[in-house]
Amino acid sequence: MNEGVSAGIAAAPIDEDHVRDVTEDHGASAVEEPSADDFRHARTLPVEDDWYKRAVFYEVLVRAFADSNRDGFGDLNGLTDKLDYLAWLGVDCIWLPPFYDSPLRDGGYDIRDYRKVLPEFGTVADFVEFLDQAHARGIRVITDLVMNHTSDQHHWFQESRRDPEGPYGDFYVWSDDDTRYSEARIIFVDTESSNWTYDPLRGQFYWHRFFSHQPDLNFDNPAVCEAMLDALRFWLDLGIDGFRLDAVPYLYEREGTNGENLPETHAFLKRCRKVVDDEYPGRVLLAEANQWPADVVEYFGDPAVGGDECHMAFHFPLMPRIFMAVRRESRFPISEILAQTPEIPSNAQWGIFLRNHDELTLEMVTDDERDYMYAEYAKDPRMKANIGIRRRLAPLLDNDRNQLELFTAMLLSLPGSPVLYYGDEIGMGDNIWLGDRDGVRSPMQWTPDRNAGFSTCDPGRLNLPIIMDPVYGYQAVNVEAQSNSTASLLHWNRRMIDIRKQHPAFGLGNFHELGGSNPSVLAYVREHVDADGFRDLVLCVNNMSRFPQPVELDLIAWKGCVPTELTGGVPFPAIGELPYLLTLPGHGFYWFAIHEAEER
Amino acid sequence: MPATSSPDGPPGTGDPLAGLHDALLAWLPTQRWFPAKGRRIAGLRTVAHSVVSTPEESPTVEHAVIGVSFSDAAGGSAEERYQLVLGAQAGPPAEVEHAVIGRRPGPDGRDEVVYDGLADGRISRLVLSLIVENQTRGPLRFVAEPDTEAPIVGPGRPLIGEQSNSSVIYGERAIMKLFRRATAGLNPDLELHRALRRQGSHEVAPLLGAVEGELDGEPMTVAMLQGYASNSADGWSMALASVRDLLAEADLRADEVGGDFAGEAHRIGKTVAAVHLELAAALGTHPLDARAASEIEAWMLDRLDRAAEAVPGVAEQRDAIADVLRGVTAAEPSTLQRIHGDLHLGQELRTPTGWLVIDFEGEPSKSLADRVRPDSPMRDVAAMLRSFDYAAFHQLAEWEQSADDPDPQLERRAQEWADRNRAAFCDGYTEVTGTDPRDAPELLRAYELDKAVYEVLYETRNRPSWVSIPLRSMRRLLTPAGRGER
Ligand SMILES: Nc1ncnc2c1ncn2[C@@H]1O[C@H](COP(=O)(O)OP(=O)(O)O)[C@@H](O)[C@H]1O
Ligand SMILES: [Mg+2]
Repeated sequence: MNEGVSAGIAAAPIDEDHVRDVTEDHGASAVEEPSADDFRHARTLPVEDDWYKRAVFYEVLVRAFADSNRDGFGDLNGLTDKLDYLAWLGVDCIWLPPFYDSPLRDGGYDIRDYRKVLPEFGTVADFVEFLDQAHARGIRVITDLVMNHTSDQHHWFQESRRDPEGPYGDFYVWSDDDTRYSEARIIFVDTESSNWTYDPLRGQFYWHRFFSHQPDLNFDNPAVCEAMLDALRFWLDLGIDGFRLDAVPYLYEREGTNGENLPETHAFLKRCRKVVDDEYPGRVLLAEANQWPADVVEYFGDPAVGGDECHMAFHFPLMPRIFMAVRRESRFPISEILAQTPEIPSNAQWGIFLRNHDELTLEMVTDDERDYMYAEYAKDPRMKANIGIRRRLAPLLDNDRNQLELFTAMLLSLPGSPVLYYGDEIGMGDNIWLGDRDGVRSPMQWTPDRNAGFSTCDPGRLNLPIIMDPVYGYQAVNVEAQSNSTASLLHWNRRMIDIRKQHPAFGLGNFHELGGSNPSVLAYVREHVDADGFRDLVLCVNNMSRFPQPVELDLIAWKGCVPTELTGGVPFPAIGELPYLLTLPGHGFYWFAIHEAEER
Repeated sequence: MPATSSPDGPPGTGDPLAGLHDALLAWLPTQRWFPAKGRRIAGLRTVAHSVVSTPEESPTVEHAVIGVSFSDAAGGSAEERYQLVLGAQAGPPAEVEHAVIGRRPGPDGRDEVVYDGLADGRISRLVLSLIVENQTRGPLRFVAEPDTEAPIVGPGRPLIGEQSNSSVIYGERAIMKLFRRATAGLNPDLELHRALRRQGSHEVAPLLGAVEGELDGEPMTVAMLQGYASNSADGWSMALASVRDLLAEADLRADEVGGDFAGEAHRIGKTVAAVHLELAAALGTHPLDARAASEIEAWMLDRLDRAAEAVPGVAEQRDAIADVLRGVTAAEPSTLQRIHGDLHLGQELRTPTGWLVIDFEGEPSKSLADRVRPDSPMRDVAAMLRSFDYAAFHQLAEWEQSADDPDPQLERRAQEWADRNRAAFCDGYTEVTGTDPRDAPELLRAYELDKAVYEVLYETRNRPSWVSIPLRSMRRLLTPAGRGER
């Protein structure tokens, strides 16, 4: 999701300084863009068709991970230094939110230059080095790309304002009045009163679905489509493994529509996909469309050809339902949303997550449920942001190890590729006193030393303060301490990721919910048969209740097979005629591999 | 051609199950559905018998109605009749070993094994295929419901769990229920499911077919086939999970704990209301006039007197109870219609998309004529309110067995849970029908008390440790504060 409302930043009109800068510049208006050939290219990984279905993703904020140059800001070189850690943890793909040059009025989602890195983070060359080192460890990298709009400081926009007849004159959506497309809703109702803003320089209104400092690009102009495809090619040439496409539903606008999910938008995404398939096989597109799954599946494209738009899309409503199910001690919030999730094309995959850099999004729940979630998980009003809850996983779950394990076990076993959020693997806390969503963006806690090992700068220079409270503070919660204890949450997460990787059924298998007599128990099987006919079958049983629960499962289809518990390898009694009886501790879960009796 | 026999069997053979009587007498009391466990059986006879399978089909499949008479006082005079589906084969597969009833000489002189046919996937498959093909075998007619998608024919497997009938599940797509108690006449479970399907109801599992036979010269419902709601759980177990959560919380209120059930109770209210509207649309309504009301009142008073005879706690309060029951005649005019008749949380299934109401057979203790008689929908509403009470106090009742002193704090919280969910149920009900059941407090209270009296009698006889639950409710309904829901 786009960054949303940034606290403390009003919807300012056009930056007058910039207006002057540009008008004073009477030079050629077509700007030279850097080419990928100006840079070294990272080594690439072998093309693997299904990698994104099997991968464990890890979202990391460059600014919050590691600071290599003591300026208090995390940077790309710092991230490169930590790749060994991510490889040790078992991460397959790193997702970086935008690191492009930006005035940072919307967390970097306001891009000023598609081919430049934010100076605090480093340079394009630093990025290539990071990518190369990640690939050397078998780790892929994807990043966000905002196609719908740019920052108002992007030179395309400045040129467009200055010279309506010039090469960029038609790059944005201009109009003499502010009455067109009136059926498109205003997304940021807190700060914006219209989707049109008047530009005194050009003497026209420009269209923006988000902030007024983020003008929408005009995709009806073929030159815009080409420019955007070239921006994709720039990074793909350098070796990047894919993009998360931000705010995709809004690319086009048409009179008499709400301007979302238009056929023209899908047609352009098909073009993007074709560029990837033809020129960069093995790279992926991930759609960010915070909509109901039934609408999101459109972004996978035509199922008849296995999908011809985005390879992946986030499943937004699943996450709040997982929280709700455990709170209500009932599997139905999860069963319900999975039952409502349509089939997806054969090449498509959901991305699923428990937490990310945004708030716990509650847009995809009903009003009743939202009230309930607020009451349950946001006991302090500061914990609520927009329509969500601004917390990290551990504090959301009262730092209860059993629940942390249960939630993670579900994340790693429900259908979709799991996306972990940096720091949650060690149970980091949040700082609800920081504005905006910065509360969940504090520096990674590496050691009990100064600045938590994040930076050697003077603590006063830190971009965001380190968490210091007695429970979640860096002295108690850090990578170093947890690496040294095999009983730690960090080691537990690493083991679970490892088990997931040994079983292709988790990433590739179909999903079948088993039901069962006990409404507090969510049980399902994941099953995959590979090209050689090898069958991988995993049974997952999760107790939503804090009390121990018995459950009788109908496993008759696997009569005679022996379930083997996956974390310890202990064989359980063979499946017979009668319902299979299991007892789970409070918030407990089991993963079993089900082997044919003869195989053993 | 399948062989058919009169109750006495083909000439010369006598009772076709004669050789099995002793085996049946030993087997019956071990069956979950046999309600007369512990009673002394005086005799057993075959009331009807027919062979369902053709000579080419193996194993042999037989349908029988047996009559069982009892020699103890509670037995009264009438015999109880039960339906059996039997399989017979010289060497049946190992899977049915647990279902064996006995042995008898087979047609070729060798012994054959007779077993409970529903345990054999080949037999349940045969029954399903006969339904799908609309076949008739002897006196049994297998009928597919018109305009339904036929389920894929395959073997079924018996449902395991507490049940008064016996069901078989076909690949999570369909479920067939063999009605164990044989009664002449159309079974209301089938009748109402048929009517609701015609209304396009989303609140019940769709009817797919039935098996119909004859008894005493009248039609009899043998079995019913419905869509199977996979991945469902019943309302009773969900409610208990919620109550458990509340009672374990030191100082949170019912609306504050994570396991709050009110959202579900509200949905159940809407579901029950929709079923009532559909039943009224399908089968009509009648005014609840003075004559109808006095009939219902007489029926309630009769039941009260039977309970008072058996339970001193009821006898002491008899007149006060009767006063409340007379609320039926004092109530504002309202309507009568076909209702569910035996509603409780266990008759509602939560599926991933919503709630289903199941099992429209009506209250088991009533005669068929009483079960199909139109009644006030308030009876169903009251029954649900009672069920919320049961869920709330069930755990306390279990605990009270070990501790003499019920914790008043826990009782208050259980009451809070009941109040909250009863209110949510009524709110949901009102949302759909437009009339709030709490606006007719006398009627609702009469039905609730009638039900509580019945429960006191039932628990005294069957589960004495639970009798405190309806007794507590009875006391509450008899105090002025217990009047009305608000
Ligand atoms: N349509 C259905 N789908 C799934 N499960 C069902 C369905 N109907 C009944 N069941 C299950 O079977 C059990 C018994 O069904 P019910 O109709 O109440 O039988 P009985 O008349 O024997 O009480 C229910 O408690 C429920 O668990
Ligand atoms: Mg029932």
